[in-house]
Amino acid sequence: MKKAKLLFSALFVLLGVTLFAQNVQVSGVVRESAGDVVTGAAVQLKGSTTVYAMTDALGNYRISVPSDGTLVVSCLGFKTAEIPVNGRAVINVDLEPDSEMLEETIVVAYGTVRREANTGAVSSLKNDGLAEAPVASVDKLLAGKMAGVQVTGNSGQPGAATQIRIRGISSINAGNDPLWVIDGIPVETGDQSYFTNTSNAMSAINPNDIESITVLKDAAAASIYGSRAANGVVLVTTKSGRSGKANFNARVKFGASMLANDNHFRVMTGEELLNWQRTAYANAGANPDEKAPMSLLDNGTHDWLKDFTRMGALQEYEINASAGTDRGRFYSSLAYQKNDGITYGTDFQKFTARVNSDYRLTNTIEIGTRVNLAYTMSNDTPMQSLYYNNPFFAGLTLLPWLPLYDEDGEFNLKLPSNSNTNPRYTAKYDDQWEKQYRVHGTAYLQWEPVRNLIFKTNNSVETTFGEGRRYWAPDPGDSEGTLQTSTTQYVTLTTSNTVTYNFALSNHNFNVLAGQEAMRRNYLYYYMYGNVDANIPYPSTMVSEQDQVGYSGNARTLLSFFGQFDYNYDNRYYLKASLREDGSSLFGSENQWGLFWAVAGSWNITNENFMRGTSGWLNLLKLRASYGVNGNNSIAPYRAYGVYATSAYNGVNGTLPSTPDNASLSWEKNYTWNVGLDAGFFDNRLNVQIDAYSRKTTDMLLNKQVPQTSGFSSNFMNIGSLSNKGFEIQINGDIIRNADWTWNAGFNLSYNKSKLLDLGDTDEMTYSDSRIKHKVGKQFYTFYLKDYYGVNPSNGEALWRHHEFDEDGNITSTTLTNSYNDASYIYAGSPEPKFTGGFNTNLSWKGLSLSAFFEFKTGNKVLIVENRYVNSDGQQMSMNQTARSLNYWQKPGDTGVFPKPVANNATNSNTFASTRWMQDGSFLRIKDITLSYNLPTNFVKQIGLNAVKVYASALNIYTFHDVDWWDPERGVDGMGTGVYPMTKSIVGGIEVSF
Amino acid sequence: MKKIAYIALFAAALFVSSCKDFLKEEPFLTQSNALALIDYNALDKAVAGAYSPLADGTWYGANYVLTSEMRADNATIPTNTSFQSGRYQPPFYMTYSADATVGLWGYGYYVISAVNNVLEAIEENGMDQYTKGDVTEQDVKNLQAECYFLRALSMFDMARIYAYSPAKAAAVNFSDCIPIILKTDKTAKEQPARNSVSEVYARIIEDLTTAESLMAADYTRAGITDKKAAATLPAIQALLSRVYLYNQNWQGAADYATKVINNSAFKLWTAKEYPSVWSAATGGSEVIFEVYGNKSNDYDEYWEGPSHMTNPIGYADCAASKALTDLFEPGDVRGSKGVRGADDGAVMFCTDKDEASGGELWTMKYYGKGLGDATSTPDVNNVIVLRLSEMYLNRAEALVNGASVSGATALGDLNTIRANRGVAPLNAAGAAAVALERRLELNFEGHYWFDLARTASGAVTYSDPRRPANLDATSKFWALPIPKREYDVNENLSHNPGF
Repeated sequence: MKKAKLLFSALFVLLGVTLFAQNVQVSGVVRESAGDVVTGAAVQLKGSTTVYAMTDALGNYRISVPSDGTLVVSCLGFKTAEIPVNGRAVINVDLEPDSEMLEETIVVAYGTVRREANTGAVSSLKNDGLAEAPVASVDKLLAGKMAGVQVTGNSGQPGAATQIRIRGISSINAGNDPLWVIDGIPVETGDQSYFTNTSNAMSAINPNDIESITVLKDAAAASIYGSRAANGVVLVTTKSGRSGKANFNARVKFGASMLANDNHFRVMTGEELLNWQRTAYANAGANPDEKAPMSLLDNGTHDWLKDFTRMGALQEYEINASAGTDRGRFYSSLAYQKNDGITYGTDFQKFTARVNSDYRLTNTIEIGTRVNLAYTMSNDTPMQSLYYNNPFFAGLTLLPWLPLYDEDGEFNLKLPSNSNTNPRYTAKYDDQWEKQYRVHGTAYLQWEPVRNLIFKTNNSVETTFGEGRRYWAPDPGDSEGTLQTSTTQYVTLTTSNTVTYNFALSNHNFNVLAGQEAMRRNYLYYYMYGNVDANIPYPSTMVSEQDQVGYSGNARTLLSFFGQFDYNYDNRYYLKASLREDGSSLFGSENQWGLFWAVAGSWNITNENFMRGTSGWLNLLKLRASYGVNGNNSIAPYRAYGVYATSAYNGVNGTLPSTPDNASLSWEKNYTWNVGLDAGFFDNRLNVQIDAYSRKTTDMLLNKQVPQTSGFSSNFMNIGSLSNKGFEIQINGDIIRNADWTWNAGFNLSYNKSKLLDLGDTDEMTYSDSRIKHKVGKQFYTFYLKDYYGVNPSNGEALWRHHEFDEDGNITSTTLTNSYNDASYIYAGSPEPKFTGGFNTNLSWKGLSLSAFFEFKTGNKVLIVENRYVNSDGQQMSMNQTARSLNYWQKPGDTGVFPKPVANNATNSNTFASTRWMQDGSFLRIKDITLSYNLPTNFVKQIGLNAVKVYASALNIYTFHDVDWWDPERGVDGMGTGVYPMTKSIVGGIEVSF
Repeated sequence: MKKIAYIALFAAALFVSSCKDFLKEEPFLTQSNALALIDYNALDKAVAGAYSPLADGTWYGANYVLTSEMRADNATIPTNTSFQSGRYQPPFYMTYSADATVGLWGYGYYVISAVNNVLEAIEENGMDQYTKGDVTEQDVKNLQAECYFLRALSMFDMARIYAYSPAKAAAVNFSDCIPIILKTDKTAKEQPARNSVSEVYARIIEDLTTAESLMAADYTRAGITDKKAAATLPAIQALLSRVYLYNQNWQGAADYATKVINNSAFKLWTAKEYPSVWSAATGGSEVIFEVYGNKSNDYDEYWEGPSHMTNPIGYADCAASKALTDLFEPGDVRGSKGVRGADDGAVMFCTDKDEASGGELWTMKYYGKGLGDATSTPDVNNVIVLRLSEMYLNRAEALVNGASVSGATALGDLNTIRANRGVAPLNAAGAAAVALERRLELNFEGHYWFDLARTASGAVTYSDPRRPANLDATSKFWALPIPKREYDVNENLSHNPGF
């Protein structure tokens, strides 16, 4: 509170500063040395903070100044000029370009910074670094692009969510997703749908509207976001209009997609399966002619997966316009995208519209808005798990001699082995969709009463209205279907108010920021479930005694005060400190306020005198170091409150305590060290950025066992810790740069290793899937599986390892056993990759350009639990098997093969939790190859256009991997059971600007 | 520029005034602790809810009763393996350890914390907060009395399991009982040590006498289905009679038994009624306090409930031992035998319908309300905690041990019961006769084990060769171990001898 008062009293003091003297009118034109006019240049009376003017679109200015004054003319990208008025009425000014100022700036928390002055670990991308990829959301574009930013797909479905982990995983019960901040305002992210398999709030943002993306990785960069910064912060800046005449861009894009399957993964043909089944029956002592007669093939066979999948189609249309004058700038876009998935019944559509405007009301006041509207509609069919309805799973398991259609030409439902469901029937008659309507609206006002002192207030509303439907049509002959509908609503209000001042005292440069923010988020949810008339399949026909209604909702608030101090001496020594105090409604009354801070320093060695001699080849050499703490508050609301819940007994609903009071509930904290080095060589044609970090999470929120004498058995408490350590390297180079040819290449690599240090009462917890443990001393995710040995060469049985362990869990002896029950569980490996990264290269000659981008991950394990069914060694005789099962034990001496199939065997050789199904998930993916051509300018001008670009891209075109599945990506936990696999696509497009 | 100043000033004023409550967001779909106890109606619901865990499977919902019968040799695991599900092994083979013990601990203290919250709220907020509108001070006192009763019952049941009885505690010289918790530890950080047996029994008696003084004589909880499944004045008195008996305060046991016996609201079941009363939907004429069984209870053990466990076509693990079923005199309705399905409601022990178990008998005290068939859904039962026959037996035992009640004799009390069970009267009633009658009358109601445990000489001789060594009077099993998880989080808990 005190801070807010201080802020406003400072404001009043400054209001008093106004001076005037005897004046003359001066006007003129500001030009670059080359002759073009400069718009938006500031013309200022030297020594005054209030007397200044801006040049208009023709470079003209007009200002009233004392006749003996001096004009100071400045503009970003030019050297500042000082001109004495000497009584003149017309003064034309030529500005010289400033090469130092043209240096790249990057968006950081609450501002921008020259790359050279940056102290924290950040990665940034300009929009031109984002590909022409036909993605629904920008998060997908980050995969492999930035060191330390791991983007994992767990579904190839159009519009799917992604999992982004910045420098590893920090939490079990609080979230692991980074904070996304768009144009200064934190926004909703993730999957907010109810019935569809996946959705992605970020798809509301048109990737082409984005100007730049910065990822804040270390405490120095992110801590100013306080209690929400622990998993890193992604800053997105959308495009503003540019001064100058109106410019239109139109884009059209078409594409086709298909299942990515680069390892020839397939199931058996009818003939292969029947022979295999006959062998399995024979091995079980049954008569194959009785159990699996050759006549099964008489009516023909088919590949179910082919019947369940199709060529996906993509279309995208977009038009945007931008314009600007000396006072205002404007950017607007309208886009439509439709993506038909590779299975029937799966598609995604969206409309987005954006208006960004900025207007200078007076010489000191600027206002602006950022408004984005989005409508997304997503259709799919149930495939969250191994449902019979899942076209991918049913496509693998349905027996090839069963027909797709019945006698009437309808999709065959007489499929007892698939619970009489047919995914094509489901796709045709059932519904499963989510429609979302999103509005992001932000308005800011910025006031610069004196130069370099800027007050800014940024206020935003984000609302999401979602509507979901899941409908099961009746089976033929029935009249009642089953309907579920949902309505969701999210409203987030944010106000962000800052004051910044930067000034210099000789070689001492200061930049000070103080700010305050408040956020309130409300959530509501209604749900209806019941049987409905198949002819009017809406809630109005639900039978009232049977239908169910659900309602839920919550609210959370956050109040923050923060400050940041930047100092540099002579552009050589940089110091930065930040502080934020967050108060959150999520936490207990004793710990409602948390203090987060960071300090960072850097030393720009190249600006030292002793480095003069190397300036010919070394443009930048900078050391950075930082340390700080930030927090993770991603928990459900009300966890701090002791709560009563109803308990039915003896015909009445009484109440009983259900969770204990938790007044000390607080943030998870992350303490991060970072050291880094930035270097630029050969006129900055070779840039290197190296970072190493150590991140320790403490006060992890876990359910701690408590004495039951309290009435409870556990309480959600801040115990536990884990660490993530790693390093990151990013190298970019312009290899060739001349008039006709450019060739550049970039490479990034990151290494991360997590280690669980403490779990409070216990040294092991089970993840939501029991095949993964969180075990103290091991990596965060560690597979816990029965140790499979292989086949017994003498008889074709499955063999397991049985281990004896000492007190520390080390194996002391190992024997082989054919008994599943005697097989030992081991900590088998982790789905967390050791190394992730990517490399890209772009070669262009005149208007023609060829670019390629590769992504890789190594050192991670994946567990293909579906193998329980599709490589079952005979346990599943009513399911098709993969072709890999053909390589089974046939004669004594066979090794490295699958066990001999025995029909209906119960040996558990195919169990879910087996090292047999764990594989190395490393891959190298050719993520994107794009060939584009910019038509020659003089030709384009002749037909009245500014530019025309045509291009063709191939996405995910090939992936090198060793996993026995379509694609190696299985989500951060390496399992991703039953999900929609990755797809590859070919896209062509044209972009016209006029 | 002035405009901006005004706007800023206005915004600042607005901000400062609104920010105090900005961070307070309370749950609105569940009730916070403060809200759950804010007025009489809320308090009443909180008391109603506090009964709920009594029906848990670790307590009267099955285990507390049936494991006692198993340990005491009234119950046995059938010899025919097709009548076993593998349950009830620890009480049969006596393989108790801190890892595998009776799980009552958590639920006992859960009820205690629920009633402590209510008592504390009344104390903190004052009577006035709750006596608004038609609510009288007596209405609030009735709730307080229910709380004291529930706290006493919870402490008593835990003390019986996890500690030696007062008599045996003296004999083995180990008197650690359970921690007495009179105020809920809201932070769940306290690690209370065990109080002594005498402290715990003194507290139980104090809670019950307080409850007796607070509760109106005609009070029964409103709105509930089974009026006998809530505390009433006779229920408080009956429990007090039993607690005094355990504490060997003979006169107290006799006096309080007499108060209930003289209460015209209760009548002994006749021999004719006796076999059919056990399937009643709500408590019959003898029942003073019971735990209501129904699938609509939040705590419902379903397949693990006593009905399914004592049904030969259910899990069937708890059969009646021959040692028990052979005790009855001919004509004693309490020992009547028949065939399940044919003789339901007519006899007290049944063999399976097809008589495939080799003559195994199961008690019919839990044969069910007829709300399940044991194949697609299990049946449910009320479980009787206190009934009138026990009061006669308590008094008879007290009288034998020197108490005096005008007009009452031990022989008279036993014969009153026997007259209603179809057996000839006794000529004399000593301690042994009272104990035998108690076993015959109250078998499978969770008494016999504790009746042995509460005397210094109580011991068990197992009748089945599959069972382990007999338990002598000072066996470690008379005080079963407290669950291991509690030791993991409470450094101040002592261990029972031998565990």
